[in-house]
Amino acid sequence: MSAPAGANQLNPSRRNFLALLGAGSAAGLGAGWWYHGPHEGGLTAQVFIGRAERYDAPLGDLLERALRELGWGAEGIRGRRVLLKPNLVEPNRAHSHINTHPLVVRAAAETFLRLGAASVTVAEGAGHVRDSLLVLEESGLAEVLAEDRIPFVDLNTDSLFRVPNRGGFTKLDSLVLPASLRQADLIVSMPKLKTHHWTGVTLSMKNLFGLMPGQVYGWPKNVFHQEGIHPSILDIAASVPVHLAIVDGIVGMEGDGPILGTPRHAGVLVVGPNLAAVDATCARLMGVNPRKVAYLAFASGRLGPIRESHIAQRGEDWRTLWQPFELIDSIPAQRGIRLAA
Amino acid sequence: MLASKAIEQLWFRRRADGAFAARPGAEPNIEATAWAAIALAGAGEQAARLEPSLNWLAARQLEDGRLPLEPELADVIWPTPLAMLAWSAAGSHPDRVARAAEFLLRHTGRHWKRKPEEPVAHDTSIRGWPWVLGTHSWIVPTALAVLALRRAGRGEHPRVAESDALLLDRRLPAGGWNYGNTVVFGQTLRPMADTTGAALAALAGLTSRDKVAASIHYLEGAVKRVRTPLSLGWGLIGLTAWNARPAAAADWIEESLRAPERTAPYETASLAVLLIAALAPRQPLGIPGG
Repeated sequence: MSAPAGANQLNPSRRNFLALLGAGSAAGLGAGWWYHGPHEGGLTAQVFIGRAERYDAPLGDLLERALRELGWGAEGIRGRRVLLKPNLVEPNRAHSHINTHPLVVRAAAETFLRLGAASVTVAEGAGHVRDSLLVLEESGLAEVLAEDRIPFVDLNTDSLFRVPNRGGFTKLDSLVLPASLRQADLIVSMPKLKTHHWTGVTLSMKNLFGLMPGQVYGWPKNVFHQEGIHPSILDIAASVPVHLAIVDGIVGMEGDGPILGTPRHAGVLVVGPNLAAVDATCARLMGVNPRKVAYLAFASGRLGPIRESHIAQRGEDWRTLWQPFELIDSIPAQRGIRLAA
Repeated sequence: MLASKAIEQLWFRRRADGAFAARPGAEPNIEATAWAAIALAGAGEQAARLEPSLNWLAARQLEDGRLPLEPELADVIWPTPLAMLAWSAAGSHPDRVARAAEFLLRHTGRHWKRKPEEPVAHDTSIRGWPWVLGTHSWIVPTALAVLALRRAGRGEHPRVAESDALLLDRRLPAGGWNYGNTVVFGQTLRPMADTTGAALAALAGLTSRDKVAASIHYLEGAVKRVRTPLSLGWGLIGLTAWNARPAAAADWIEESLRAPERTAPYETASLAVLLIAALAPRQPLGIPGG
């Protein structure tokens, strides 16, 4: 099966997230009121969960199996230019659970090349620091990329092009993107499985903040914080065609993520072509109800399905692997989002 | 000396119209052109040779004094102080510098009186400068604006003193700065070398040493470990501004310049910042230190 031209689906009705949020509050509706409903516009998606206890496990074999089970044969990858977008936030060698592990990036690069990709590039626009080379060095990824001769592009300082904002959840009419996105046939979001103090969880959709150039939006991507993080996530996901998510959940982060949380071993890689469905599955694996995470609830039926019944599970069953990541009740975004047992 | 080869690299990146490419083969931008001009002026290049670059920057200045990242991205104002520093370093375009200074002094980051329930600990009411108009003030754009205003002779303006207060307020409790948050949801964030260097450079001569002693101490440790040009360059610029340049600085710079450029050639702006630290062991940005 060929990779989809764009995994991001959107109900065309233009809505203003904040206005709706305000209306919901005024109506006294609880969290999840904006959830799209039981039918989710008829959307369905496949998500693969694979067990990987350690980073030195044969991750490439696992990813190849994931792609095969998701129907992504070599014919959908052969000759394609692949852009891998890991989550590299801050340089900190002592806290490796902040960033996507370099061996997961290596496994993905090798898998795509083995399946015939024309090229693989790793690209990131680190959110907190202008010195991307330092983030690369401290994360351990620089060494891996050098050994494998994989090029890296700093999306914070890349050439630019503009696309219309197809989401309409913020006031932004358009989004300015790095040119490298236009030069890729397959864009892969590769986040870490983490809790987040502004959004509850940070997964393949929130990871797209790192596509947005710091030279345009500032550090830490100020414009999107100003516009609202949840609506910004939705706008970026609706406007940028991202084709696949590969989530590093071997060691994730719980508590006060995305930087200051504590490591949490979860022993999984999660893979899928629909980012909302992948993130909803990851949320469940962390013991979080996706319907209680604002951006996921709003993505429901617009950018993809989040209901369990609309997600065709491949690989392992999340119910056998889920574990309750620590949530901090004093952090509003993490309050009341726990998945009921 | 490797620095002279790096200077050659910089010249090689200049186009016929005077603009510098962001990296080899890439499009030019204000950041690369301004930093390259500052570095080359510091290396003693004649103003006449730099004139095409300085004029290219001048052509990007809007009527109100700002130099936005791109003409259609008018709110992205952070390159403005870089052009001011470039013109000032070369002693040219004083009218342009003055106009840009007036623009900076008319604009601030978004600021507000912090509510008790807000999860951030810093004083959000102090005005500095943002990366993008309409957003909050952060460390690097504020530090750059302070440096540019002081170099332009506007160091006595109350906005510079207010920025001094902002930078001091945003210090991390154990020293150093990151992009500009200190404590969020009760947890202290971590410092970074480049932002700490920029803040220290801006504060030199404005505040007493005891207020930044912990930050100097942090940076002295950080620069021993980092070899990327931007962090090492800013780290040494900040320490030099406080007469705390490490004895091994020249060796570290050589090490950085000699390091294999593993994934891509150094960006022009980063290379230039490192060269500024290398070539000007005193007052790297032309501002008297503390």
